[in-house]
Amino acid sequence: MTRIGTPASRVDGRAKVTGAAKYAAEFEAENLAYGAVVSSRVAKGRVVGIDLRDALGVEGVIDVLTHENRPRMARSKKAYEDDIAPGGAPFRPLYDDKILYNAQPVALVLAEDWETARYAASLVRVDYEQEAHVTELESQRDEAFDAKNSPKPRGNAEKAFAAADVQHEAEYWLPIEHHNPMEMHAATVIYEGKGKLTIYDKTQGVQNSQAYVASVFRLKQDDVRVISQFVGGAFGSGLRPQYHLPLAVLGALALKRSVRLVLTRQQMFTFGYRPGTIQRVALGAKSGGTLDAIMHDALAMTSQYEDFTEHVTNWSGALYKCANARYGHKLARLDLATPIDMRAPGGATGVYALECAMDELAVALKLDPLELRLRCYSDRDQNEGIPFSSKKLRECYRQGADAFGWDKRNGAPRSMRDGSELVGWGMATGIWEAMQQKASARIVLTANGHAEVACAFTDIGPGTYTMMAQVAADRLGLPLENVTVKLGDSTLPQAPVEGGSWTAASAGNAIALACEGVRTQLVRFARKVANSPLADAKPDDAALVDGRIVSKQDSSCSVSIPDAMRAANKERIEQEATAESNDDGKHARYTHSAIFAEVKIDEELRIVRVTRIVNAVAAGRIINPKTARSQILGGVVFGLGMALHEETQVDHRLGRIVNHNLAEYHVPANADVHDIEVIFVDEPDEIINPLGVKGVGEIGVVGTAAAIANAIWHATGIRVRDLPVTVDKILG
Amino acid sequence: MRGEIRILRRGEVVKLSGISPTLTLLDYLRLTERATGTKEGCAEGDCGACTVVLRRLRGERLVYEPVNACILFAGQVDGCEIITVEDLARDGTLHPVQQAMVDLHGSQCGFCTPGFVMALFALYHRADTRPVDRQRVNDWIAGNLCRCTGYRPIVDAALAACAETANDWFSTEEPDVRRTLGDLKDSEDIFIGTRERFFAAPASITALAKLYFSHPDATLVAGSTDVGLWVTKQLRDLPKMIWLGRVKGLEEIEDRRDAVSFGASVTLAEAMPYLAALDRDLGELTRRFAGTQVRMAATVGGNIANGSPIGDLPPALIALGATLGLQRGDRPRTLPLESYFLDYGKQDRAPGEFVRVVRIPKFGEGEHFRCYKISKRFDSDISAVMGAFKLRLDGTRIAGARIAFARIAFGGMAAIPKRARTTEKALIETYLDRPDTLEEAIEALAQDFSPIDDLRASAKYRLDAARALLRRALAEIGGASTRRTRVVGFREAADVAPA
Ligand SMILES: Cc1cc2nc3c(=O)[nH]c(=O)nc-3n(C[C@H](O)[C@H](O)[C@H](O)COP(=O)(O)OP(=O)(O)OC[C@H]3O[C@@H](n4cnc5c(N)ncnc54)[C@H](O)[C@@H]3O)c2cc1C
Ligand code: FES
Ligand code: FES
Repeated sequence: MTRIGTPASRVDGRAKVTGAAKYAAEFEAENLAYGAVVSSRVAKGRVVGIDLRDALGVEGVIDVLTHENRPRMARSKKAYEDDIAPGGAPFRPLYDDKILYNAQPVALVLAEDWETARYAASLVRVDYEQEAHVTELESQRDEAFDAKNSPKPRGNAEKAFAAADVQHEAEYWLPIEHHNPMEMHAATVIYEGKGKLTIYDKTQGVQNSQAYVASVFRLKQDDVRVISQFVGGAFGSGLRPQYHLPLAVLGALALKRSVRLVLTRQQMFTFGYRPGTIQRVALGAKSGGTLDAIMHDALAMTSQYEDFTEHVTNWSGALYKCANARYGHKLARLDLATPIDMRAPGGATGVYALECAMDELAVALKLDPLELRLRCYSDRDQNEGIPFSSKKLRECYRQGADAFGWDKRNGAPRSMRDGSELVGWGMATGIWEAMQQKASARIVLTANGHAEVACAFTDIGPGTYTMMAQVAADRLGLPLENVTVKLGDSTLPQAPVEGGSWTAASAGNAIALACEGVRTQLVRFARKVANSPLADAKPDDAALVDGRIVSKQDSSCSVSIPDAMRAANKERIEQEATAESNDDGKHARYTHSAIFAEVKIDEELRIVRVTRIVNAVAAGRIINPKTARSQILGGVVFGLGMALHEETQVDHRLGRIVNHNLAEYHVPANADVHDIEVIFVDEPDEIINPLGVKGVGEIGVVGTAAAIANAIWHATGIRVRDLPVTVDKILG
Repeated sequence: MRGEIRILRRGEVVKLSGISPTLTLLDYLRLTERATGTKEGCAEGDCGACTVVLRRLRGERLVYEPVNACILFAGQVDGCEIITVEDLARDGTLHPVQQAMVDLHGSQCGFCTPGFVMALFALYHRADTRPVDRQRVNDWIAGNLCRCTGYRPIVDAALAACAETANDWFSTEEPDVRRTLGDLKDSEDIFIGTRERFFAAPASITALAKLYFSHPDATLVAGSTDVGLWVTKQLRDLPKMIWLGRVKGLEEIEDRRDAVSFGASVTLAEAMPYLAALDRDLGELTRRFAGTQVRMAATVGGNIANGSPIGDLPPALIALGATLGLQRGDRPRTLPLESYFLDYGKQDRAPGEFVRVVRIPKFGEGEHFRCYKISKRFDSDISAVMGAFKLRLDGTRIAGARIAFARIAFGGMAAIPKRARTTEKALIETYLDRPDTLEEAIEALAQDFSPIDDLRASAKYRLDAARALLRRALAEIGGASTRRTRVVGFREAADVAPA
């Protein structure tokens, strides 16, 4: 049996290593047509003419859809709002002649095969009436408006800052980053006839996609089935229905045929991204190393049509004790697509700035950076004025520092060397919200001791299949092999999008609750067995262990599941349960981490290697240490990319992204990754939810870039405040 | 003349006759064969998700070569067996590489997994040439990207699976496969299509010369690691394609006492041991040239012929004094490599003329060489700056020796790979132990180059880095050479042995 808390290999491993796992673009249909998207070449204006003749002349081209000839779509902007939509009016692909950002879709070529569609797309001639565009964040400092999502201020931060013994104030820049999951966004729309569609979509939320398609195309919700059993990564890019989905549906409705649409890698840069930000952090401290004032202001970008906001500035309120704090968040409208959540949205951004600033403050105070964090440690969430459901951050600091050997650090910059390389050690704190969303799960237990657990969540890679199986196996007392999992299908019990690190808590607690229902029934059945040893048992008197219903008082009193079911004349038990967060606002709910990083830098050429990272994480109960460790590893490497490589570059004259491929948008490669140690700190949490689970999908990213940037300062004495830290920025 | 491509696939010989010249192997697999296990993550050779293994005869050797199917044209696999991720498990039993990936948690979302599995499968079949240690695994998977796992579990899986000599069902089949592939070999010219639209693979230099002479508008394809992207990324239609991979003679490597020559279809993977034997830095350079899959296809000839300002081999080969053999119709000619590069996108090559061979002289007495590649990301990245230095020193004592002769070339510093002639002159007659005069020469680089800012690096960094590289080369040649001074960038510099 594989209980909660023990490592298990992922249950879908076999499908993945044999190529049997099927992704959205890989489902077959009879008479399938292929789509290719034509992207706008200007950033703002209007389409004034589209010449389709050359494209339509290519043999094998069936049709080319534009805003002029497409099938009907909803007119109201409201109809395009999905579960995750921020305020504003969502982008409506091929809706009208308006160009809202460079490379937005302007036409869809439909052809008998992909090669033809792709080639014909290059022949569509579009004329534009161009308007002046703005894509540079900095130029919009004065135009930006308040996002109104910052925590309330406390005390008088301006005054306290002015009076502080030691002050640090600086601006930190973060570029646009793109998620770049390895799988491109894609949909295969199966045209079933009679108004029915089955859609294999790359998405983080099948029911979100389903509702969107139904609403945009005025279809009955039940006539649209969205399936996404395997997702090749997303990191947030699949939280909202991206334009590949409505376009593929448009194609299918226009042709009355099944259609497949796969975006190209270049087109993966034509929708949501982590917004570029300019943050100002001002910290005032007493010379003893406690904080008097925190001011954290963010300027972030959004599109012309939606107000995308993240929680960027609030994090210090939960981390560091400080009586005076003020937060600000402004948005600037640019002629770019709307940003979208990207792994630890806001957190990865805001904590980077905060933790670099704390490092700089420590230098100013002549204090060890870890010591400063300990002196400022907060036992309460000051934004809300409440205690934490659990916060084992002190333990993270201690275990992380021990494993890293932090006490051997010489605090002076450029003081540590290894041959011709400069060595730097830096650290940072990580924090992320521990959320739970309303979700339902269904268990079907059959008399042969086999259970099926179902929930509409998707598995974008973290191991949701495995986690769901493991929770069910644990609670039903069955071996892992006896549990099958169904997910990623809009016909299954309700689930929100997979994101926010909430899947384990949301699905896990729903499954646990459904299992309790199963147990209650089983105890009832067990009482019916002739001479039942559990004749007087109440539901809570028994547990499910090794395929049996066992008395908690006396483990020799038990009935096997098949016997109980037979006694009740049942072949199967079906239970559905819905779990919701018990958050009553009395406790703050967060995961925490401490990250320690070592860099080695070639003194002359400034080539940086991140040779060692220790990340100690407190995230409540860990359901599966194997999959959880993998999440942290991947998160840390994501953070490493942030620190050293990742940057979407916009040519502001054209308002166009120029490094839109994996050759020039660098995600970390294997050679960038050296030793990474993951530590899970024991953190029992009785408050947060019945399972005590917090989630680990995002915490690994948060703070990592700061730890690395701080280590680079320690190695070189050069403080780079705009990511990524590329060689030319540490010229020195 | 043969009007079809012949491949071995799952035990059967498959003949393809009606293929479009630009059909990629990946589209053939995913769309024609409907074998979707092989993934597409970029369609430009950057991610390795599309890795398949070609089992083929190279001379007498039966080899397993991982390649990126997304930028390989279907015609280029003539005479090979294609092995994809679906083929590894047999009768419900996973291949050792697959089992290790499951046990050690090598996948999260799984989208990169088939590519990694296939790369590791090829490595598994090369464990006999050299033990598979961490460094070798790292080098081997440099061309595979994973956005989820952070790579460590995949490296662990590779080490576990490749610990022993290959012993799987593929090993057992080898005698049969060798025979079948041997039977597929012939010396026919391949021509599929019409005079306006064709895929051709001539089998002799004479046939190639004739065909290209009469179709100077055709696209020559060697490894297609550039040309493939013209189709998948620039959406160009290439109606006439002439592939060099079957031309007898172009695959030859001649290793003589005074020089080593590579025919135009010799791949980087094959050239690697010869380059490494010539000089350790050249070996290190090829190790950092793209990733394994690209090196299996990319040719030395293509790297020169494409005229790229940031190709890795040209600066090194220019510094070494290489010459290029070209041919047009039946007229061959030879020129110094540096004269081939005229200006951005312009080379000294007439219509219908092709690169036949590149000849690299070996070192004479007192000659020393260094070359270094600097890129933004260490692995699988194009150079920001690439510097190559050849010096001849007077006398036998290195310490304090006089520089009698210098050839210095840089990539990434100008519109073409270019010699630093002013700097070369300034170095001649200087002494290695006279830092002040050396510094003067180093400063001369600013007269040779005025680099530009671009995505990969700023102009200032380029010039600074060029100076630092020259300084380093002089220090190393002057005797300060230790492993510590090397531009390793990643753990230890590996000894480069046959890939
Ligand atoms: C992911 C990736 C990474 C890369 N990394 C590197 C790197 O690190 N360093 C580097 O230098 N390059 C790199 N490249 C570029 C490329 O791989 C090399 O330039 C390669 O050597 C080209 O060889 P090929 O045989 O594939 O050329 P092809 O694509 O077949 O041809 C390239 C060009 O040369 C012409 N050509 C080919 N052979 C001849 C001939 N015999 N006579 C005349 N013309 C000819 C073709 O018509 C074409 O114009 C990379 C490419 C990719 C896709
Ligand atoms: S699909 Fe990325 S290398 Fe081929
Ligand atoms: S497992 Fe998702 S890209 Fe590697």
